[in-house]
Amino acid sequence: MSHLSMDTLLSLREPGVEPGTATAREHLSQCPQCQAEVDRLHQRVARLKALPPLRPGRDRWPQTVARYRAERSRRRIRMGGMMSLAAAASVALAMTIPSWNRGPAAPSDAASALTSTEISRAMERSQALEDALSAFNPDARVLDGRTAGMAQELEDRIARVDRDLEATELLQQQARDLDLLKLWRERVGLLDALVDIHVTRASNAGL
Amino acid sequence: MESFLLANAESVVARARTGDPEALGALYRAFEVPVYNLARRICRTTEDAEDVLQETFFEVCRSIGRYREEGSLWGWVRTIAASKALMRIRRNKYRDTDELNDQVTGKRHEDSHLRMDLEAALERLSETSRAVVWLHDVEGYTHEEIGSMMGKTPSFSKSQLARAHARLRQWLGEEMGS
Repeated sequence: MSHLSMDTLLSLREPGVEPGTATAREHLSQCPQCQAEVDRLHQRVARLKALPPLRPGRDRWPQTVARYRAERSRRRIRMGGMMSLAAAASVALAMTIPSWNRGPAAPSDAASALTSTEISRAMERSQALEDALSAFNPDARVLDGRTAGMAQELEDRIARVDRDLEATELLQQQARDLDLLKLWRERVGLLDALVDIHVTRASNAGL
Repeated sequence: MESFLLANAESVVARARTGDPEALGALYRAFEVPVYNLARRICRTTEDAEDVLQETFFEVCRSIGRYREEGSLWGWVRTIAASKALMRIRRNKYRDTDELNDQVTGKRHEDSHLRMDLEAALERLSETSRAVVWLHDVEGYTHEEIGSMMGKTPSFSKSQLARAHARLRQWLGEEMGS
């Protein structure tokens, strides 16, 4: 008499009926050796389940969360870049429309145009710094803990400025321009510091 | 499982979705050991298992906003971990160790009454066979799910499991009549 194969014994544990299962069950009910094999199979699986859990030798959370934070900051900076392009377009439009509608600019219009020009300059500078940072690829480089902490702090502050910029976009024109200029200047200052941290450290360390 | 691994899971998940580092850390602490255990049972080395642990929680942090609470939190984390571990063994392309041993030693194992403990026998299986054994017999995945995660058919999973059990039986000295 031929005994059941391991394939068949295992298939008997599965839900549902496969072809040949009825015959196999019938054989199993009459064969003590195959019954013993099924018992051994069940015991082996039970022993596998009872193996003690293996534990990691090192704590990987600091690296995991650092990587996650870096990715979030990168995403925010990218969003900031996109926002700056959109904002630049809206400022350019705001400067153009009055001259179409009202002819020569009044003194208050001139002041507003000056602010708008300053905002555009800050945006361009911000974009240039982001490009420099992106070309430098800071994520691929190793920073010591203190420098990484400073870079993280700057990235968080940039993200906060981006949120404020988003909120300011919703204000009335006059107040908005002054606030926007202030925020864009702050953003440029922070990005400048961030580029300094990465590039200066790299040149010092010869990376 | 999370009910005893993670107290007030709902509120932790809600906070984790906002990026709260404390909540994300709580998720890590709750599932660190089962994720590592699953990864280590599948991967060949502790280094690979630790990398899988990190990859898994990086993905958890990124994707917790997409977790819909339709299944259990542990089930969701576990599927990410299994998928990362399987990706790792595919990338490593280790030669199946049990096949290598058989080629080197010929029929020696069949003739000897070598008895191993279960840990050693499990370790000796190829990564693919071990992954199937662990995912099916311990974690409770079906052959359809395993085949899908591995990019293979359910039949592939079934034959790997049968082959693995035949080898375990032999290495553990549990052959018929023994």
